Amino acid sequence: MKKKVLALIMSTIVTSTLFLTGCGGGANKPANSTSQNAAKTLIYAQGSDPRGLDPAYVDDGESAKVIVNVYEGLLKYKDGSTELEPCLAKSWDISKDGKEYTFKLREGVKFHDGTPFNADAVKYNIERQLPPNVKEDMPYASFTFGEVQKVEKIDDYTVKIILKQPYTPFLANLAMCLAAPMASPEAIKKNNGNINEAPVGTGPFKFVSWKKGEAITLEKNNDYWGDKAKVDKVIFKITKENSVRASELMTGSIDIMDGVDPNDVQKIKDSKMNIFNEKGMNINYMAFNCSRAPFNDAKLRQAICYAINREELVKYLYQGFADVAYTALPSFIPGFNDKIKSYEYNPEKAKQLLKEAGKENLQIKMIAYSNPRPYNPVNGQKLAESIQNYLSKVGIKATIDVYPWKEYKEKIAQGEGDILFYGWTGDNGDADNFLSLFDSKEIKSTLNSAKYSNPKVDELLAKGRKTPNGEERNNIYKQIQDIVDKDAPWLTISYAKDMAAYSPKVKNFKIHPTGVAFLKDVDKE
Amino acid sequence: MLKYILKRLALLVPVIIGVSVLVFLVMHVFTTDPASIILGQHATAEQVEKLREELGLNKPLYVQYFMFMKGVLHGNFGNSLITKTSVTNEILSRFPATIELALVAIIIASIFGILMGILSAVKQNSIVDYISMFVSLIGVSMPIFWLGLMLIVLFSVKLHLLPVSGRITIGMEPIHITGLYLIDSLVSGNMAAFKDSLKHLILPSIALASYSTAIIARMTRSTMLEIIQQDYIRTARAKGLFEKTVILKHALRNALIPITTVIGLQLGSLLGGAVLTETVFSWPGVGSYTIDAILKSDYPVVQGAVMIFATVFVLVNLVVDLLYAYLDPRIKYS
Repeated sequence: MKKKVLALIMSTIVTSTLFLTGCGGGANKPANSTSQNAAKTLIYAQGSDPRGLDPAYVDDGESAKVIVNVYEGLLKYKDGSTELEPCLAKSWDISKDGKEYTFKLREGVKFHDGTPFNADAVKYNIERQLPPNVKEDMPYASFTFGEVQKVEKIDDYTVKIILKQPYTPFLANLAMCLAAPMASPEAIKKNNGNINEAPVGTGPFKFVSWKKGEAITLEKNNDYWGDKAKVDKVIFKITKENSVRASELMTGSIDIMDGVDPNDVQKIKDSKMNIFNEKGMNINYMAFNCSRAPFNDAKLRQAICYAINREELVKYLYQGFADVAYTALPSFIPGFNDKIKSYEYNPEKAKQLLKEAGKENLQIKMIAYSNPRPYNPVNGQKLAESIQNYLSKVGIKATIDVYPWKEYKEKIAQGEGDILFYGWTGDNGDADNFLSLFDSKEIKSTLNSAKYSNPKVDELLAKGRKTPNGEERNNIYKQIQDIVDKDAPWLTISYAKDMAAYSPKVKNFKIHPTGVAFLKDVDKE
Repeated sequence: MLKYILKRLALLVPVIIGVSVLVFLVMHVFTTDPASIILGQHATAEQVEKLREELGLNKPLYVQYFMFMKGVLHGNFGNSLITKTSVTNEILSRFPATIELALVAIIIASIFGILMGILSAVKQNSIVDYISMFVSLIGVSMPIFWLGLMLIVLFSVKLHLLPVSGRITIGMEPIHITGLYLIDSLVSGNMAAFKDSLKHLILPSIALASYSTAIIARMTRSTMLEIIQQDYIRTARAKGLFEKTVILKHALRNALIPITTVIGLQLGSLLGGAVLTETVFSWPGVGSYTIDAILKSDYPVVQGAVMIFATVFVLVNLVVDLLYAYLDPRIKYS
């Protein structure tokens, strides 16, 4: 009897396995080709769950990707750059003293819950991120709205924001995908001040559901004030492993993926998928400790810069997935100085400068981080070892101490290392966001990791923050880049590219330089 | 027997306390400060300190530990530092996915492991034995994540037979009854969901079962070999019983005792060890949730998940011991 039962179980398992695998034709049917033939669904795979979907409470890229499609801010970035254009605000005036911003809001716009977008909503959204309402775990509140003194409602569609002092980057802050997007005050109140799991914005897509660890579903907002989305649904699928995401793309289970592993690029291309590989908003650099010998001497810093072949280094380490950086600012940010191309590889000149400084047999200590970073997809140790190799060719002996990230930041704060490696991912697409890393005020916060101090640079940075956007402001930042280039507190190395892969059925897909994908105009065959 | 059970349950307490102290110390001492992670690259030292104060992270470790354990005694593991959601609810919502994967894996491992072990023992030193043991050697040696990726490449990418990842095609989830999709879809009569979730289960459960299959096969083989040498087996054969009866009814019955122990222990470790499989196949279970939490230094989640796994492991061991007594009448617990 027991034997018969065992035999029955075995044969059931074998038969059902054969039956199911025999129906192989439909095994990998994506969601959008089953019963949902009427609904055009775009499936975008990313590596992990968002931290949350309330723009005030998050600072991670996985959250930003969803947020930018559900919410909007007063301003937005133009296509392909970080120049600004109207969004929920149709126009704005700035007072002569640069402290008062008066926004005329777009009328007739509703949040996804049907409540109106108006001056009260703007006031509520900003004030919840100001003292005394701001919470300690709102990561971008002080960066975005730290200069705001007051928000005034002039009428239902006019709002005035008064700053403590003139601060031109404030406009760029209002276009950011974090902290700045406008959420429904009703929804925020209904959810005890936190809509991490119940986002309600004005964007081209509405939130439908979030199955943690699996997928977030958005649907087209048919009441959107602008051009409606081209697809009916967007599903952000969570697939942790890069190579598994690549497999899903190649089998047609998903339409778009990001976090493409460079090792998978060829096989993705071989499967007739498209690769999107464009400039990212970041900088990867090597910094000198300018606060003490030996690198408190600019000539010595310049000598080291000539000793390193950046082009070869970037080509070898990043295999085409990063661009060489000659200055701290990515090229699409207004104020980029395209004239800077100093420190062309010249080991002989490096040796000569070292000799003039009396440092032919210099021995130095480098510190590096052990893990990959967004701006440095290979780990810090590999980058340091490559630099070490170049330095040895000009007679410099460099030791490398490698630390895990947490400890590494502490070592930087303590001033350890004659040379260190660091980077920065941009927040708001404004030149100040990058070049403030040379502000001597940021030495204490360690954002100025080189401990570089130049009063002229400080003065220009302060001036840039007060100067309205335009040619004059751009020139200020170009001048800063010139000075920093000569002083060489850093050797800029690369800008990591943003990479994604997508099916040929997908049209108009691109990643914006700020690192997110706006899916409103994306279509699918 | 009841006394024995109560004694074993009482022993659960020091085990859980020991586990909680260990995981608490590891998370607080060796991982990145969660306040820095929450506040990101702009965080100043003052902001980090303020948030640490708000989250209670600036209190002495022993105070934080006691506050945590106080919550645990009320069944509350606190809220995730990162997502602010209840750790208990998040773990409970993910548990069915892990249970389903582990159960299917242990069923596969048990069936194939026992079959391979019996065949190897009966055909000792034959080609069947060598192949079986070679397959088991691969099973214990092969890293699960590599096996998982290879299965995906072969069955999903090359042959297009099975899905790449996930638990079910998005939008096909059955009505929630137990959270186990196979059962929920059968109960609700949703055969499309049943087929789809079974297809999604095949590759991850095979990957997860590989190591356990090997262990069970080797244990079965060695136990069966020992038993086949026994006098009563010789007697059974001498009596003229069919070989199948001798092996399956007499030998296997006794071999099942240690094999059951191994299966039980494997189930316990599968429940906690599905982490790699869940990561490779994007299986939304407790394992992958815990990994995410470790990477983000989300202390309450890691502490809660590890304590729950430890409890489950101990309870599974208890059940296995009780089953042991049921299978072997000679064993009596007092």
